[in-house]
Amino acid sequence: MEDFEQLLKSALDRKEPSASFEAKVFAAVAARRSGRSIFWRWAAEVAAVIVIAGGFWVRHEGEVRERAAGESAKARLQLALKVTVTQLARIQKTVRTSTEQE
Amino acid sequence: MSIKIALIMCIALAPLGAQELKMPPNLDRLAAKASEVVDVTLDANLLQLAGRFLSDKDADDAKVKKLVAGLKGIYVKSFEFEKAGEYQDSDVEPLRAQLRSPAWSRIVGVRSQKSGQNSEVYIKTENGKIGGLAIVSTEPKELTIVSIEGSIDPDQLSELGGHFGIPKIEPDSQHKNGKPSKDE
Repeated sequence: MEDFEQLLKSALDRKEPSASFEAKVFAAVAARRSGRSIFWRWAAEVAAVIVIAGGFWVRHEGEVRERAAGESAKARLQLALKVTVTQLARIQKTVRTSTEQE
Repeated sequence: MSIKIALIMCIALAPLGAQELKMPPNLDRLAAKASEVVDVTLDANLLQLAGRFLSDKDADDAKVKKLVAGLKGIYVKSFEFEKAGEYQDSDVEPLRAQLRSPAWSRIVGVRSQKSGQNSEVYIKTENGKIGGLAIVSTEPKELTIVSIEGSIDPDQLSELGGHFGIPKIEPDSQHKNGKPSKDE
């Protein structure tokens, strides 16, 4: 019985941790924190790339759409001017023919 | 009191003289009968957009860009029919009625008995400058209406001849400034 009490007392006695214990704990915490921050940094970078690429894509699509609308407007403008000038030319021709006949 | 009423009436009716030509809505119905239709509507925004795609370096584009710079709108409706009688004078009458307003002046009227062509060119003057141009051209199987709003120089228009597939307008020694006035 005394042996048992002695063994228990010895087991519950305060013991100083080894010199490297504190360093090991801090290293483990730092490693864990470092792993998390790498993940978040990576996630932030991916998100930034997606946002920037999305911005470029939206801008590109806008430019493509504007160019198509612009080219269409230009073609319609040329058609309108063609009809206008053709009509004026025909009128002028008729006037000239009439004047020459007189 | 009567002077006040007259003044108020003048202010209220003033915009009517300066307003743009309204294309008669019944013209749209003619499209169904026509074998060929050209319908171009370019308001100030579209003209501005088209102007951005005209190059200053290209001589032809530069001419058009210069012409378009002062314009507020171009509206063209042209119909070609397979046979005569597909449209009536009454279809065009609402437009002619607008062109009879004091703001507009008919500068050319051509009527040919032989071909049945009846063409008229009108200009709108604003503060002594041309503020619009309208062409109404009717033939038995063809009807063309052109309305150009804004500051326009007819000489610039004639300069476009020979480009973009536009027929060249020969310079006329007898009718300078491209403004002949003759009723056949």
